[in-house]
Amino acid sequence: MTNNPIVKGKLVCVALNDASQFEAMQAEFNEAPYKSAPTQPVLYFKPHNTWNTEGATVEWATSEGAAAESMVVGASLAVVFGEECCRVSQDEALNYVGGYSLVHDFSLPEVSYYRPDIKGKCLDGSAPIGSVVVPAADVADPQALTVVTKVNGETVSEMPVSQMVRGVAELISMISYIMTLQPGDVIAIGFPGQRAPIKQGDKVSSAIAGVIELNNVVGRV
Amino acid sequence: MKHARVLFNGSELDVTVEENGQLKSKADGQLINETDVTWLSPIKEPGTIFALGLNYADHARELAFEPPKEPLVFLKGSNTLTGHKQNAYRPDNIDFQHYECELVAVIGKEGKNISREDAMDYVAGYTVCNDFAIRDYLENYYRPNLRVKSRDSLLPIGPWLIDKDDVGDITDLRVTTHVNGELTQDGTTADIIFDVPFLVEYLSKIMTLKPGDMIATGTPEGLKDMQPGDKVVCEIEKIGALETYIVSEQEFYGDKY
Repeated sequence: MTNNPIVKGKLVCVALNDASQFEAMQAEFNEAPYKSAPTQPVLYFKPHNTWNTEGATVEWATSEGAAAESMVVGASLAVVFGEECCRVSQDEALNYVGGYSLVHDFSLPEVSYYRPDIKGKCLDGSAPIGSVVVPAADVADPQALTVVTKVNGETVSEMPVSQMVRGVAELISMISYIMTLQPGDVIAIGFPGQRAPIKQGDKVSSAIAGVIELNNVVGRV
Repeated sequence: MKHARVLFNGSELDVTVEENGQLKSKADGQLINETDVTWLSPIKEPGTIFALGLNYADHARELAFEPPKEPLVFLKGSNTLTGHKQNAYRPDNIDFQHYECELVAVIGKEGKNISREDAMDYVAGYTVCNDFAIRDYLENYYRPNLRVKSRDSLLPIGPWLIDKDDVGDITDLRVTTHVNGELTQDGTTADIIFDVPFLVEYLSKIMTLKPGDMIATGTPEGLKDMQPGDKVVCEIEKIGALETYIVSEQEFYGDKY
């Protein structure tokens, strides 16, 4: 596995931020074990063993030597911090962004959001990040971006940032009141609610048109 | 040997802690008094911080949970780390913040698919942490979530990392917390449900463990709310006593508040 040169400290991902998924799950949220809808962003870490690069082959998950039955992938706009960001308002949040990139989150299928999903989300090399950080000054409005993901050339998702429960500035502000973000920390602000199923050997490519792309291959056991 | 990191005259120093409590610079052997330093987290390059929920049989009962059949593992960010004798803050407008005195196993060697039998070869040593939690912020999503468990300063750790061989058997170490001098938590690692070798095996089946990764093994019963002004001492027999001062959110963040 290759550590990514972009993310240095923390890679924080936001789950359940696709507004259509969030709406569709309202009934489920009211049942056990959740009992009520989340009032806060639902966050998880991709720890340092997961960080990976553009072009990398991502290992297929195994357990006890046996190949996992299924895996999925989602792509997110990656907000890369350029300076320390502590308790900032939504209005000033974007001033702390050094630039933008893309993250792939390869994982086991998201079966439950009740407990931290270490087994599903912490697989070695499962978080490739784009090879470049596009300077924040070159992105007029991150809310206007759309992340398109293709598997073997076929489009599997189109996720406009504008169709998320919480936008970039709001998330930066809220997260900065929980944890101080350092230069090189990254927030993956949201993934399509329907993660794309993948198979061994698949080519996964995501792009924000005209801004950045990220290409990975799924390994074989 | 006890390994610590301190701030002395504005520089970060790697030191050992001598029998008499003096600190000895690893670089030049200089002896330094503890009163002249600021303690830092003893882990120089912190890796993944794993923490266990409900991992003591008595604590699971206290929280009215069935002991888990599988470890409840969550991750914490490195922003949570702070050293011995440092401040940790109580967020504004909450009802309940509690300490959690925990034995931490620090990984010293990279490994994947490590067997229980070999697990201790991958542990460099131990330290103590205080894995504070804000109960008000619990929600049933990735519970316990980052808002509860990944806040700045709310994982004091230290005072030092002690070599594994200097501790020996860790299966029955007394675990205590004193708040303002009063004993409030008194347990033993004998009540741990999933022990260190099990956890090393379990986690390394999922992912590669690396030097600097830490496994905080959970806490026994004895929860108590914390208030600014409180002094909390988390101690584990043979390992060390970690002292923390609770301050308000405003005092902690100062100009950034």
